Amino acid sequence: MKKGLKQFIFYACVTLVIANGLAWGILYIHTKAAFYKPAFLTNQVLDSRFDYIILGSSIGLTTLNTFVIDSISQRKGINLSMDDTGLASQYLMLQHFLAENKETDYVILVLNSWEVMNTSGELSDNDYRFLPFVSRDYVYEHFVSLEEGFPVLSGSKYLPFLGVGYYNTELVAPSVASLFNTTKRNRFDERGNYVYPTSGTPPEKKFSEITLQFRNPYLDKIQSLCEAHEITIILYQPPSYKTEVLNVNTQGYINHSSLLKDKMFFYDAMHVNAKGREAASIEFAEEFKRAGN
Amino acid sequence: MLFNSIAFFVFLPTVFILYWFVFKKHLKAQNLLVLVSSYVFYGWWDYRFLALIVASTLVDYGIGLALSHETRKKRRKLFLMCSLVFNIGLLGFFKYFNFFIESWVEAWGALGVEMHSSSLNIILPVGISFYTFQTLSYTIDVYRNKIKPTNKLVEFAAYVSFFPQLVAGPIERAAQLLPQFQKKRMFDYELAKSGVHLIIWGLFKKVVVADNCAFFVNQIFEQPTGYSTAELWAGAVLFGIQIYGDFSGYSDIAIGTGRLFGFRLMTNFAFPYYSRNIAEFWRRWHISLSTWFRDYLYIPLGGSRGSKAQQIRNVFIIFLVSGFWHGANWTFLVWGGIHALLFLPLLLGNKNRNYLARDAFKLRQLGSIGITFLLVTIAWVFFRADTVSIAFSYIKDMVLWSDAGLGFFYKTNKYLLLSLIIGFSVLVMLGFEWMAVRRQQVEVSLSPVKAVFVILLIVLMGAFKDPAEFIYFQF
Repeated sequence: MKKGLKQFIFYACVTLVIANGLAWGILYIHTKAAFYKPAFLTNQVLDSRFDYIILGSSIGLTTLNTFVIDSISQRKGINLSMDDTGLASQYLMLQHFLAENKETDYVILVLNSWEVMNTSGELSDNDYRFLPFVSRDYVYEHFVSLEEGFPVLSGSKYLPFLGVGYYNTELVAPSVASLFNTTKRNRFDERGNYVYPTSGTPPEKKFSEITLQFRNPYLDKIQSLCEAHEITIILYQPPSYKTEVLNVNTQGYINHSSLLKDKMFFYDAMHVNAKGREAASIEFAEEFKRAGN
Repeated sequence: MLFNSIAFFVFLPTVFILYWFVFKKHLKAQNLLVLVSSYVFYGWWDYRFLALIVASTLVDYGIGLALSHETRKKRRKLFLMCSLVFNIGLLGFFKYFNFFIESWVEAWGALGVEMHSSSLNIILPVGISFYTFQTLSYTIDVYRNKIKPTNKLVEFAAYVSFFPQLVAGPIERAAQLLPQFQKKRMFDYELAKSGVHLIIWGLFKKVVVADNCAFFVNQIFEQPTGYSTAELWAGAVLFGIQIYGDFSGYSDIAIGTGRLFGFRLMTNFAFPYYSRNIAEFWRRWHISLSTWFRDYLYIPLGGSRGSKAQQIRNVFIIFLVSGFWHGANWTFLVWGGIHALLFLPLLLGNKNRNYLARDAFKLRQLGSIGITFLLVTIAWVFFRADTVSIAFSYIKDMVLWSDAGLGFFYKTNKYLLLSLIIGFSVLVMLGFEWMAVRRQQVEVSLSPVKAVFVILLIVLMGAFKDPAEFIYFQF
């Protein structure tokens, strides 16, 4: 029994050390690469001063084109939106941006009306993209405060194999790819933009209206952080197919929910396509320009 | 509780420590611990169905005792019938009730008679097909005077509900497992080591091979139209690999876990995809079920004795019943029927006893292995498809060649990555198994370095984020 336990403990330790070593290496490569947005911001965004940054989920990623906005408004911005994320992740991204000693005058927060009305924040599907930075306090605290069940993400601060094992398909191959090409990005351009093709079509639906209520506690956190760093926040309601967001009298709120009515501008009910992005970005840039003057 | 869950990784060491460090010197206490742990293990899924296990245990325990005190043939037969009616009735109600009702209505509907019925919202208790067969084997063996009944309820209840094999087998025989509960158990280092290796190997087959295959298989079989011929073939092959990795992986973990507690459970899979004909396949696939049917159905029916017509009848009965055991769907019956048809030429040509366990594998037999795998793969389509008509349509699209493209498997980076992971892990699995087959072993042996390598593969390639439930839980 003793011999068996000794052997078992020895090989368990060896395996643990190798697994953690490999996982640490995989995450280390990510910290030096640009595959996902957090690492992209750290390693490939060399400018430290911006006029604006865009935060949001896939809607923010695909609706506002910083190249179009910059050319019209004569400003410099970057899109830090990440698909499949919520306000909690956007708060984390803002913290990450500031932790990198970067500055901005404006934060354009692209809203998802359902998300805004949620009364609690939650871990998003793609929060693992911050895993390479888990040793930073704000990332670790984000995971600790939102993770339910087994602490796969927060536990990775001490045992990186937990997170790398759980998100292996998302982390291992990109890490290997980044080893050979450190500039490789995950489907977004050098300013963080991504666009949906024009091939998609939204499903037919009845026209609906939503009255927006700001309930998500992370909205307050974002606003507080912006105030603390003297950043002006603009809430942006992107175009939505046959859904209009109503009755918002909040300052610094741009409502484009009913800007585009034709199906041809949409990839699906929530996302615009390339044509929709062009139209929305132009309109946003004009309003943004006016707001700044 | 799933073997590949966090809960099990806490449960197993806890039970292990209590078993070997606290109750080591007390056999009764060890058996009681196994019983309580098994009920916790099962109740983790749904504690309400524990009542069924308890009922099945009490009925067969009582009937066993009654048989031991009874010498009159008629009375003994009556006791046996009680056990059969109770256990098969339990299985019939929970597993087949809705199927029979719906089939009855459909049959009359086909004749133009409209009938109204309502099926019941019955949940299938996990493992019911396994533990009812296990208790039945006890009563039948007691009836046949092959074993002596036990008068110790705890040890019998622990035998029925032994957690490593409770929900998906191997289906143990009382003659094999029950005596192990009656003997004092000493910790056997070599046995425990081989158990750990089997657990690692089983996890690899389940989490890396099967669950990654499930990603593609589920999509293809959910809506089989719109795929190229090559993609449909790949889907069928991947399902064959998935179900093997899933079920044999479960069996390996079960057997390995049993060994940690000093129990030797029977081999359930012996590298079936290296079989050189269908008869050999059935000697290597789900061995505990096929031998159960052989001993309690095929041989009582006459087995391979009697006229050719009787032999053919027996083969069809055993394969159809075996198919139906898997689930209340016509697809499983057709699957069983196909295997009976594939077995038939071997029976008629007296080749069904070729390639017994001691026959060494030779490289020139790769053709036979390939053909057997191909036939088994085609039959799997019926096993996996939702309906018989969907399965026929699937097979038709496999046969009527339209397109050799495999674009589905690399349509995004994630798909390509998963395809590469599957390709690599299947090569590892087949490679390790081939080495074992060549050495005429029935399980893969891992050196410490190989074990560490396999664990690393599990960590780096396992589908932890999207785990699939064990397929055989539904049976």
